[in-house]
Amino acid sequence: MNDPYKILGVSESATNAEVKKAYLDLARKYHPDNYHDNPLADLAQEKMKEINAAYEEINKMRGSGRGSGSTAGRSGSSYGYGGGTARETWSGQSDSSVLQQVRIAINTGNLTRAEGLLAGYADHNAEWNFLKGAICYRRGWLDEALRYYQNACQMDPGNPEYRQALDFMQNAGASAYSPTGAFGTEVCGGDNLCQKLCCAWLLCNGCGFLGFRC
Amino acid sequence: MFGYVRPPLQELPQEERDRFRRVYCGLCHTLSRRCGFAARFILNYDFTFLAILLSDGEESPCACGTCIASPFQKRPYCTGSSALNLAADESVILAWWQIQDHIVDSGVFRSLKYRVASLFLARSYRRAAEARPEFDRATRSQLEKLAALESEDCVSIDLPADTFAELLAAAADAMEEERRRRILRQMLYHLGRWIYLVDAADDLKKDTVSSNYNPLIPRFGLKSDALDSDSREVFAQTLDHSIRLMATAYELGEFGCWSPILEHTIYTSLFQVGKAVLDGTFHATVPKNKKDKIVEEST
Repeated sequence: MNDPYKILGVSESATNAEVKKAYLDLARKYHPDNYHDNPLADLAQEKMKEINAAYEEINKMRGSGRGSGSTAGRSGSSYGYGGGTARETWSGQSDSSVLQQVRIAINTGNLTRAEGLLAGYADHNAEWNFLKGAICYRRGWLDEALRYYQNACQMDPGNPEYRQALDFMQNAGASAYSPTGAFGTEVCGGDNLCQKLCCAWLLCNGCGFLGFRC
Repeated sequence: MFGYVRPPLQELPQEERDRFRRVYCGLCHTLSRRCGFAARFILNYDFTFLAILLSDGEESPCACGTCIASPFQKRPYCTGSSALNLAADESVILAWWQIQDHIVDSGVFRSLKYRVASLFLARSYRRAAEARPEFDRATRSQLEKLAALESEDCVSIDLPADTFAELLAAAADAMEEERRRRILRQMLYHLGRWIYLVDAADDLKKDTVSSNYNPLIPRFGLKSDALDSDSREVFAQTLDHSIRLMATAYELGEFGCWSPILEHTIYTSLFQVGKAVLDGTFHATVPKNKKDKIVEEST
């Protein structure tokens, strides 16, 4: 395994608190929630595993080697951001076996098959729209995805799975991590002084890397 | 490309500005060496950004020399690396096809300057296309798809944006390592999508007057030459979403010494440019013909 300190980006002389903070920052950055339905989700998952392993390794070394006490050693055995995906879109059950197959195809990344199956399915119900939206999202067709999710929610307003997908789109995929705070085209980044001060404030407070929960 | 990608040089420390300057000059020298003197004139920030994305985490060795922009004072520049060579060839191909697109789009009289530019760049293009035939083919086929969508007045903003996004993503196809290629493809896809959409918003007034195709008009059912506040909100959200997908891809990659420039561009500059375009202040802040001079002023 690579040097666990290097993976967490801290020196070997870092205090336990510094190690923990570095770990939490990285865990927030690569959290599965930030890579929900993302074509690179598997890479983020690998990264998460690597960080968890590095953190546990350091805790083990410090716990036994230096005898740094049970409080520090135990406080960190990984944060519970496991390697798995936190929100599973595809947990929902389909009424029809065709739509169930579409879910499987999307899960395995076979978007062409998923699309073909949907094209042959005559009933354009809420789930059909939801799945169509999911395919568009994976392709990076974000506006189309938004519109299909809206249709799905209109047809079946009580469905939490569709609602969650639409909420995510309407937040423009805002994630827990950003080095500069909650920025957006309409949020910040203007030319006027007030906005620049706002940016400067966020940058200073974020120390460039702290990340903000939006 | 269109000059929308601007690393916020004023906000970066001197060391980073110097680094950007060396790769900017390095790309210029590489363009001239590989594709001939004429290719130098296509140099801009977008292509420099592409060169940085394609680079390894370290700067290639530096040389010092004069050039037409700085005939007396020697300036340091990155010497050729495989990434700079790739970026140079791909930039020439992109610039060439963009010129061809302009020739088709504009009338006989207005197309004159593009025809001259096309003649001027023809030899450079031939050399670049010979070196990167796959990228040349991919670019041409995506632009053909785009033209077809435009002629049928496509009501989706994603379908035409997808052609440009795929075209830019193909710039990463020459990367050997699969992990790196996937990350770069995702970044370039959403950069391309963002550029296409921002350009459409930027051209909205002009296209309304000339009745040219603009994806925003059918998508939002626009009756005037501006987005109303609801449409603007939806549009800004979709722009932000692409930037955030770029950012999540960026965080997975290893960009070494280029991280500060990339990070500032992705997390702040793109949002600022998008806002300026939507506010109609983009061209007022930096006139197009002066944009390349920023690098002079800020270094």
